[in-house]
Amino acid sequence: MRRVAVIGVGVTKFGKHDRTSAELFAEAAGEAIRDADVTPSAIQALYYGNVTGGEGEKQLHMGPLAATLLGIPTIPTTRFENACATSHAAFRHAVMEIGAGVSDIVMVGGAERVLNIPTDAATEYFAYCSDASWEQSVGLTFPGVFALIARAHMDKHGTTEEQMAHVAVKNHRHGALNPKAQFQKAITVDMVLNSAYVADPLKLLDCCPFTDGGAALVLAAEEVARKRPRSVWVLGTQAASDTMFMHEKRDLSRVMATERAARAVYRQAGKTPVDVDVVELHDCFTIAEIVATEGLGFFEPGFGGAAAEKGWTGLGGKIPVNPSGGLKAKGHPIGATGAGQIAEITTQLRGEAGPRQVEGARTGLTHTLGGNTATVLVSLFGRG
Amino acid sequence: MADHVLTLKHFFEEARAGRLTGIRCGKCGELAIPPKEFCPSCQDRNWAPVPLAGAGSITSFTVIRVAPRGRGAEAPYAVAVVRLDEGVSLLGRIVDIPFDALRADLPVRFRPLVTGEQTAIGFGPA
Ligand SMILES: [Zn+2]
Repeated sequence: MRRVAVIGVGVTKFGKHDRTSAELFAEAAGEAIRDADVTPSAIQALYYGNVTGGEGEKQLHMGPLAATLLGIPTIPTTRFENACATSHAAFRHAVMEIGAGVSDIVMVGGAERVLNIPTDAATEYFAYCSDASWEQSVGLTFPGVFALIARAHMDKHGTTEEQMAHVAVKNHRHGALNPKAQFQKAITVDMVLNSAYVADPLKLLDCCPFTDGGAALVLAAEEVARKRPRSVWVLGTQAASDTMFMHEKRDLSRVMATERAARAVYRQAGKTPVDVDVVELHDCFTIAEIVATEGLGFFEPGFGGAAAEKGWTGLGGKIPVNPSGGLKAKGHPIGATGAGQIAEITTQLRGEAGPRQVEGARTGLTHTLGGNTATVLVSLFGRG
Repeated sequence: MADHVLTLKHFFEEARAGRLTGIRCGKCGELAIPPKEFCPSCQDRNWAPVPLAGAGSITSFTVIRVAPRGRGAEAPYAVAVVRLDEGVSLLGRIVDIPFDALRADLPVRFRPLVTGEQTAIGFGPA
């Protein structure tokens, strides 16, 4: 396989927009194309991510739509859907297309628009990413999925609601440093603990918001990328799955797909968790960040909550997690999230992250989880 | 009969009548919830239906207070993963148990949740 690099990134402001998801993607793609210093016609394929457009916007066949808005309507396009891991899954396939020598320059990304529909409709569409017969049928929601995980983690390890609250406080503190974040103001542990229960033990401020937004990346083969000093190299990208059914999860306090994908990507890149300087991971709920920091090997099982409480995952801590503000504060436009995380790690490894820069970061990791923990992608990035 | 019991339609028709049905692998003995084509343990394709008694205990639970569209009037409601005595688990709606009595290891018993044409998994007091 040929080496592949990220040569351009673009992200819209995350939040509420009065534009279609295709328009949001086009804005992000325009920024990525400018950042990469290529012409649109240099792009040979588009890997596009979106989840709920069929329901919320009555729009399918989104790949050609996005390419049409970019003025390159004749290139091959494919739309991906892997729940919240959608555009990270698209990224892996784009890397393989370049690695295999099929194309030299490929665009990947995604967009989501859900703030144009009522919250209960968005909750219903997101729940389509869990199983219809076993989970939607009893009214399980996504906060419900992670509440089951949270309860199991609390029972097994003694993790507390206050430790979870520290994750939200930290990610809001980081989000306040990111002009693209949906929430740019600090919150307190008390505010989290006093917010209303959504699915016990998870409260409103344990949950990421609904978000509109787009993110795009330009990827290139080594021959193109090595001429560009700001290129960030893909050291490894791996996907893993787990049973789709909550009733078949072997241990609700763990996310097995995270552990499998992490092992594979560290092996692929020849790295270990201690080599990682900066992380963007899938904190759709505060407990999800705690479980991910354990599954990715940064902390022993059961110590993720204490690590959050001690500040080890904040900027300036042992292993800075979600300097962008994460899904919790930056926002979670589900079809764009994976590409948005890779854009942040690229920015960090270039040393261009401004007030939220992790000083001297040379190796970065992205982790994106799909739906009821059945899909996970983990990728590693580096300079030089 | 094995191919018949593998369908979700048949599982939920039986559940509607109060009967839970698992499937057991004829080669390795793995017990599972249908539908499955191949055994995840031994990769064989030789399932036979096996009745499940419906008794089990809670593994994890939550009380859902923000419901999806169409379920707002049902909220708040509790949902739990229940490990059945035979060793397989099912997710179900908890009925007739106060929220503050819910805890891991609480014994519960299956009961069908019937709403019009729809049948879903429920669990009530043991
Ligand atoms: Zn078997």
